[in-house]
Amino acid sequence: MVKKILLLLFQVLIMTSCGEIQDMENDPHGNFEALWRILDEHYCFFGEKDVDWDEVHTRYGERIDDEMTREELFNVLADMIDELKDGHTNLSSGFRTSYYRKWWSDYPQNYNERLIQEHYFNYNYRSIGGIDYGLLSDNIGYLRYGNFSSAIGDGNIDYVLQFLSTSRGLIIDVRDNGGGDLTNVEQLVSRFITKPTLVGYISHKTGPGHNDFSEPRGFTYNPIGGGHISYGKPVVVLCNRGTFSAANNFVAIMKNLPGVTIVGAQSGGGGGMPYSSELPNGWGIRFSSCAILDANGKSTENGIEPTAGCAVDMDEDLERQGIDSIIEKAISVLSQKR
Amino acid sequence: MRPVKILMLLTMLSVAIGVQASNDSTDVVRPVTSVYYVEAGGSRVADTYLSPVVYSGWHSALGYERYQAMKQNPERLVMSLGGGLNIDRTMNGVGNATIWGAELDLAWSMYYRMRPANGVTIGVGGGPALNAGCLYSTRNGNNPASARGALTLNASGYVTYNFEMGRLPVTLNYSTSIPLAGAFFSPQYGELYYEIYLGNTDGLAHFAWPGNRFRMDNRLTADLHIGSTSLRVGYRLDVFGSAVNNLTTRRLTHSFILGISGEWLSLNTRRSRSNNTKIISALW
Repeated sequence: MVKKILLLLFQVLIMTSCGEIQDMENDPHGNFEALWRILDEHYCFFGEKDVDWDEVHTRYGERIDDEMTREELFNVLADMIDELKDGHTNLSSGFRTSYYRKWWSDYPQNYNERLIQEHYFNYNYRSIGGIDYGLLSDNIGYLRYGNFSSAIGDGNIDYVLQFLSTSRGLIIDVRDNGGGDLTNVEQLVSRFITKPTLVGYISHKTGPGHNDFSEPRGFTYNPIGGGHISYGKPVVVLCNRGTFSAANNFVAIMKNLPGVTIVGAQSGGGGGMPYSSELPNGWGIRFSSCAILDANGKSTENGIEPTAGCAVDMDEDLERQGIDSIIEKAISVLSQKR
Repeated sequence: MRPVKILMLLTMLSVAIGVQASNDSTDVVRPVTSVYYVEAGGSRVADTYLSPVVYSGWHSALGYERYQAMKQNPERLVMSLGGGLNIDRTMNGVGNATIWGAELDLAWSMYYRMRPANGVTIGVGGGPALNAGCLYSTRNGNNPASARGALTLNASGYVTYNFEMGRLPVTLNYSTSIPLAGAFFSPQYGELYYEIYLGNTDGLAHFAWPGNRFRMDNRLTADLHIGSTSLRVGYRLDVFGSAVNNLTTRRLTHSFILGISGEWLSLNTRRSRSNNTKIISALW
């Protein structure tokens, strides 16, 4: 009885306040409607993806049946969010997480880690934290950062850059780097700038309408300073379609720095910061809600193109011979900057 | 002989305790009514920044409050100071996600006191209050927490009724507090804390009024005067709602209160006192 009274009081509070909390049923229709509405009100790339979300509601709503199993419901909902073509959009249940994979699966791999380890370093590369590094032939430094989720200390980066300080140019390889923490991006970029630098813009949803966005606001990174080591020689950043999310942001930022060249294939995108929510049945939903633009105000959601004249795919015949065409292009670029 | 001893004791007391002279012949003693309490109960939470789903679970709190008649006009003015730490743990309907709530309340109030009937005291007034804390979702990535912070001017009031239940003196008290105006913090609708970390603080601070931030904190307590200290039992119903930046937050907690209360006097042995001492309690 007491519980009923409190529930009633809670409902009265909800109804009489100016805010709104939707009533959501935990059945297939209720969960479908909840998912559709969450994305309708919070997703930030409807315009860029050219998706008619109302039409999606109609088309997928017809596939919802209150007698369907949870696996059947999951499949329909996963198919629905795939319409957004967004690698940051996942539905998670206790038995499965959905992924949209075509942002990389429809493109060449353009990266072979074993090839580099064997043919370029004879397995004699150095590793610290999430970074592998060493000197290639012709005194070119190579730094591989495979995942921006791997934090690395300033002291560690100092040691790496000190080791590479005699190199005449540096290759930073973020191919197949699926992203991670943007503060690690800032930490690494701070080694390649000499003054406070506008590196991008960020915009968030301000309301449930598809066009309710805040004015893009610029954000600035500062050079590391404090006696830490920076790198001022030419730099080439390698990327492929597997370069996603925070790694995609890293490429976007580095591309606009002087002395930096982007080599490889267009990066995978993922320029929206993901937001989390949930359905009445407890399934989690993650999706892009904040758009990150580059320093020129251009969207990064669909990936970053290599510097003009530097788009390269790996040649399969050369790959079989132990040659990475993208690294070779990077070496060529750095050699021309001698 | 016995009346003489009592008179001597009263004289010594009046010299020893911290008192305020109300006139040349009468010292006013203003004991502090202090309460230490714990709470346990239930909570229902909805915060659309974290989830569209309503969560429910348990609520707990511990706190302290004190009341004292004010020296400027001890018969009419009472001040109170209170602070509490609230901890909630709630889960979604299917029990696979948790939202923790932690919130600190601090409030100072001044009341104008009336005694409309024998044993009944009514206080009306208000004062500043600080409320800070957050809701934390264990499942969210870039939007894991909904921070709360508010500095408000509250309207407050209490009604006290003193009576005897058999031979046991009891003080029954109902108190309530409602923020009327102030400022409070809320993230923007889809803004992530990373953007705030980058320095975008636009639209985070808001003018608070009951139309966009409503709270009513109600307590009904009974102090059972079983000795020099009293046992406090009671019930609290705390209703909160806010709607700003297209975000809605609701929180309803109800809990049972268990505490100890008592009246305390501070001593000042350096002051001389008159032979007439009047004790003015904050709640009697």
